[in-house]
Amino acid sequence: MVAVAPPRSGHRPASPATLAELERLTDRLSRKPAAHLQVESLSIGYSTLRGRFHAVEDISFEVPAGTNLGLVGESGCGKSTVVKTLMGLQPESTEVSGRALLDGRNILGLDENALRDFRWKRISLITQSAMNSLDPVYCIGDQISEAILAHEPVSKATAWARAEQMFALVGLPAGRLYEFPHMFSGGMRQRAVIAMALALNAGLLLADEPTTALDPIMQSQIMTRIRGIHAHMRCSMILVTHDIAVVAETCENIVVMYAGKVAESGPTADVLERPLHPYTMGLKNAFPRLPIRGEPRQPLISIPGVVPNLLLPPPGCRFASRCPFATEVCHSVTPPVVQVGVQRAACHHTDRAAEFRLAAARPDTWRNMRGAA
Amino acid sequence: MTGRQSIHPDAPAVIEARDLKTQFQGRTGIFSALAGVKPPSARALDGVDLRIREREIVGLVGESGCGKSTLGMTLVRMYQPTAGQILYRDEDITKAEGRRLKAYRHSAQIIFQDPYSSLNPRLTIGQVIEEPLIIHGIGNAAERREKVIRALELVRIPAGENIDRYPSDLSGGQRQRVAIARALVLEPKFIVADEPVSMLDVSIQASVLELLDELSRDLGLAVLYISHDIATVGYICNHVAVMYLGRIVEEGRAEDILTRPLHPYTQRLMDAIPRMTPGDSPDRIELRGDVPSPMAVPPGCRFSSRCPFATALCEAIEPALSDQTDGQRVRCHIYDDRASRAHPSLLAPKAGHITEVAEAGTLAEAVEGGRW
Repeated sequence: MVAVAPPRSGHRPASPATLAELERLTDRLSRKPAAHLQVESLSIGYSTLRGRFHAVEDISFEVPAGTNLGLVGESGCGKSTVVKTLMGLQPESTEVSGRALLDGRNILGLDENALRDFRWKRISLITQSAMNSLDPVYCIGDQISEAILAHEPVSKATAWARAEQMFALVGLPAGRLYEFPHMFSGGMRQRAVIAMALALNAGLLLADEPTTALDPIMQSQIMTRIRGIHAHMRCSMILVTHDIAVVAETCENIVVMYAGKVAESGPTADVLERPLHPYTMGLKNAFPRLPIRGEPRQPLISIPGVVPNLLLPPPGCRFASRCPFATEVCHSVTPPVVQVGVQRAACHHTDRAAEFRLAAARPDTWRNMRGAA
Repeated sequence: MTGRQSIHPDAPAVIEARDLKTQFQGRTGIFSALAGVKPPSARALDGVDLRIREREIVGLVGESGCGKSTLGMTLVRMYQPTAGQILYRDEDITKAEGRRLKAYRHSAQIIFQDPYSSLNPRLTIGQVIEEPLIIHGIGNAAERREKVIRALELVRIPAGENIDRYPSDLSGGQRQRVAIARALVLEPKFIVADEPVSMLDVSIQASVLELLDELSRDLGLAVLYISHDIATVGYICNHVAVMYLGRIVEEGRAEDILTRPLHPYTQRLMDAIPRMTPGDSPDRIELRGDVPSPMAVPPGCRFSSRCPFATALCEAIEPALSDQTDGQRVRCHIYDDRASRAHPSLLAPKAGHITEVAEAGTLAEAVEGGRW
């Protein structure tokens, strides 16, 4: 077997001048405050040949500086669309309305130059598919230092030294900065992407399913790193995932999306402990859990039916067709957002949530519903 | 669906693998070939013993690349095993060919992970499910249609409105049900379900798992359920086997493996599952590096290169599967002192005694050093 030797021989210690500059850069970056994000009635639609596709409709949430927000929901609920739009990466035909205030400044609808000003500096993105977000023809170190050089007036050597720091942070040896994406395993690539997203200590980190494609062990190792890094960098983060258990471990606050709308939001512990929205209850019961020795176990219950077609969203509550507790009003009137304590839910019947929670834990509740539908 | 009890150990096996090996021959360049260098082979499956009985669901878990899917595909003879035996109802079908192989494939079916690519988009649901019947020359058109309708009923898809629709008209969960119906239409005795729910949304996963559970009970099916999602395994499996780098490192009753894992790898795999209780995450030991390549399997214990408890003994001698309580079996020197008695000069591992945690320090050091 003939193997090409990786070009790692170029690694040499940084010069005193580089080290001094790196020191100043690190100092400057570490004093960046965490970002505060406020999203107000954000709607995102796509024009298609068959009409307007309402990917996201009238969602509002807030990420206080230095906190984590978990954005959860099924595929197609619009969670990734929100993240793309916040980064200004949505396709041109997209119609966006509402506001997203990053430290008080609206970042929606900015032109390329204005976007460049805050992308990567104030918001950075960890994408789902690490292979597609790395350029196969440049070595990883070049890609990370390029991002640094684009925003900070430092020398190439300093940018490289910063990249080495970031690699240490995610647990990769500095020598591998000289390697190309194909020489990395899936988990290493994901770590490299995380290193790149952290390089400028952006105040807000958007993590779009950062571990979905990975094995459980790699997933837990990467999430542990993200949590550790987050705790020390004190940045804000939006974690987009379908895995509510990852959110439970990582995020203070949670937003549960369903078919382009927010079903429920609030502090993670409260929402998962006492869900108000039947969809959150269903999601929680559908989530497989490890057994605890000697304890009877909650049955795994699926939610019958399918997500409505967002080209022709149904009137009333979008979850009504799958909800075992739906009444007439649910099928005709859009539910108001009701504040109950620290939680908010878009449901007509939040006053009966305690009763629903008991019923939702029984498989029959959902099964009988299946027959009716 | 809350979990399953064990099947009686004396119940006859539907399918059995004995020391099964599947290797993939690597390719070599022309110069190496001229120099007579043999290309390395990937030992995807390296000596696996497994038996599945009637009405039993065996869960097979492990990281990607550990050989789970290779085992599933070898058992249904999509891959030709390099060595070892596959017994179907005590009949050796390891080398079956032609008519005998076709007859075996009649009774052994596989369901794939991705219901979006495993169904031909140009065939209707009815045609998709009918195809295996045509291949095996079963019945006339009317009889076949009846069988198709029965199979759709089994997976709870209303046949009347769906039989002439195309896969693109169905949701992911419905497509996976169609894939299951296609596997069932030949009335097999053994089914390999290779990550059947990992592409589906959480809210509908339960219904597909429930279906597998019921079918196995009602039709007496033996099922090999392959998954990297260990939590789902607890709901439908009687027995669980954990694979690492082509070998089973631990197996036993599902409840025991999930609540009382013995092998350091299984323990780490269980720790990796995020807990639903906010703020209650276990202290996780970071494993060093990645799974070694199956083209360069380390000598000794295969997990030793990443195991926090590994010692000289682990690096030199591969442990055998040893019997523990309740039929749990584990491949680790910590629970088996046969090797340490035979090789007293090599340091033996002890439970909970961490010998080296290489990478775990990196983050802490970086943070303490203030290197931001």
